[in-house]
Amino acid sequence: MQTIIECRGVSFSYGAGEILRDINLSLGKGRMLGILGANGAGKSTLLKILMGILKAQKGSVLFNDKPLQSYDRREIAKRIAYIPQDPVFAFPFTVSEVILMGRAPYIGRFEFEREIDLEAAKRAMDTVGISHLKDRLITETSSGERQLASIARALVQEPEVMILDEPATFLDIKHRNEIMNLLRKLKEEHGILIIAATHDIFTALFYFDEIIMIKNGSVFANGSSETVINRENLSSLYGIDVTVRREGGKVFIYPGD
Amino acid sequence: MIAKKKFIISLSVLFLLWAVTAVVSVLSGTYDMSILEALFRGDELAGTIFYKIRIPRVLMATVAGGTLGICGAALQALFRNPLASPFTLGISGGASLGALIGIRLGLAAGILGFSMVSILAFLFSLLTMIFVYSVSKVGGVVATGRLLLAGVVMNFLYSAFVLFIQFFSNFTESLQTMRWIMGSLDIVGLDEVWKTLMFVVPGCIILLSITKDMNLFGLGDDVASSLGVNVKKMQNLIYFATSLSAGAVISVTGPIGFVGLVIPHILRMILGVDNRIILPCSFLLGACFLMAADTVSRTLISPVEIPVGIITASLGGVFFLWLLIRSKKEVIV
Repeated sequence: MQTIIECRGVSFSYGAGEILRDINLSLGKGRMLGILGANGAGKSTLLKILMGILKAQKGSVLFNDKPLQSYDRREIAKRIAYIPQDPVFAFPFTVSEVILMGRAPYIGRFEFEREIDLEAAKRAMDTVGISHLKDRLITETSSGERQLASIARALVQEPEVMILDEPATFLDIKHRNEIMNLLRKLKEEHGILIIAATHDIFTALFYFDEIIMIKNGSVFANGSSETVINRENLSSLYGIDVTVRREGGKVFIYPGD
Repeated sequence: MIAKKKFIISLSVLFLLWAVTAVVSVLSGTYDMSILEALFRGDELAGTIFYKIRIPRVLMATVAGGTLGICGAALQALFRNPLASPFTLGISGGASLGALIGIRLGLAAGILGFSMVSILAFLFSLLTMIFVYSVSKVGGVVATGRLLLAGVVMNFLYSAFVLFIQFFSNFTESLQTMRWIMGSLDIVGLDEVWKTLMFVVPGCIILLSITKDMNLFGLGDDVASSLGVNVKKMQNLIYFATSLSAGAVISVTGPIGFVGLVIPHILRMILGVDNRIILPCSFLLGACFLMAADTVSRTLISPVEIPVGIITASLGGVFFLWLLIRSKKEVIV
């Protein structure tokens, strides 16, 4: 497995409060990685450190064997794409305008999009399946459509890594399934490393290759979803009794005994 | 339509509109005969009016209207809010007070050609903007209600200070201040235009160079950063450039309201919200609008000249009322 991102003893604190403590991770190409943890465990902070928006006070993040901080912002933008939990759309841009913004790191200060940029946007919309929305205002789309548009925007950045914060939290089961299958497709066909923080144990179990559990700012468990998602880990992670029952290839997870 | 084509077409159309408005504006006024005819006859008075009054005035209207328009658009991108403008944020009020203090202290002299009065206006604008921004931000997001309230309060405070200065002025000074506070393009010669341009040109170049970043900023701080924008630097550049150019304009013309609010608004209704198009177009349409308003102010009840601020405020006010009534069912953001 070829390592893209490596964390070495990463610690981070806001003021006096320590958010992350001594995180060591090695994240490989073409995987789908879920980060589980209770609210406030430090998931979002870890994501921001992985893409260089926040800088770890201790330790270092290596991207393709070079310190992430040695890349300039535009260089990072060509390699790592980010999709927030609740994307802001302050102005009514059209869906295709939003997607073209993903080409920003490739376009000069006073330049407009070139033909190749327009084609990249068109391809991304086809891949994601939102070509019919291209002239719609982003402010008039549903949250599922917005999430798809954000993924298409991330895709035109031609990234090696896609970082998502709670990609399916606001979606119903149908759209959640759609987004997760799409992410799997991107992983398989484009070899993108997908890293997503999630609250949803079910999506974690069904769609992710690997799970990282974060508790009180430290890596608590790390491994394939079958091995890591079990009664002891989940009960400890969320601080309530959780039952995990595997029966005939199906998994049942519920609170209590 | 792709952005580049839209950019070229809208800029060309607005440039034509500017040229037509400029010609009409230069040719109309109180002087009671065809000014071109008089010029050809070598009439000395006509020449003076044409070169010393009409041309500088049209240029000043272009610079002032354009600057207020582009600053409005930039501030709306910065605050992620379509109601931000030099006027609503209290920047006009701050610049006015700064300039008035400069004028009263007799600081007409300049440093390296930069007028001290404009520098004071710039400083007051900058401080006001930073203050209003920090007050209106709640949990990383600008709250519209707080923003407008902070702007209104700052305007009230500044006008109290202005009145205080007025109270201790003699009759002539007081009258001058009064005229200036109403907003007017009443200048003679090109000196004021050059002095203003020294501030406006760098300000506008800075703003036009970060329009793409402003678009990305509309997707939120984190997404903008992840796409390669240095958010802090972009914000600081907008603070600096808008204070610099709007401050310089207001120190000459007095506070002219509503241009920065209405112009980008109209353009977004027609052209969409891409700042790469909206900013330069706001300059051109702002220039056209102020020129037209000034022409009306000079000719409506000629030979009496109504301060142009009264015209822009009444047109802008009516436009916004119409917008409010029309969008009664929508939540105004």
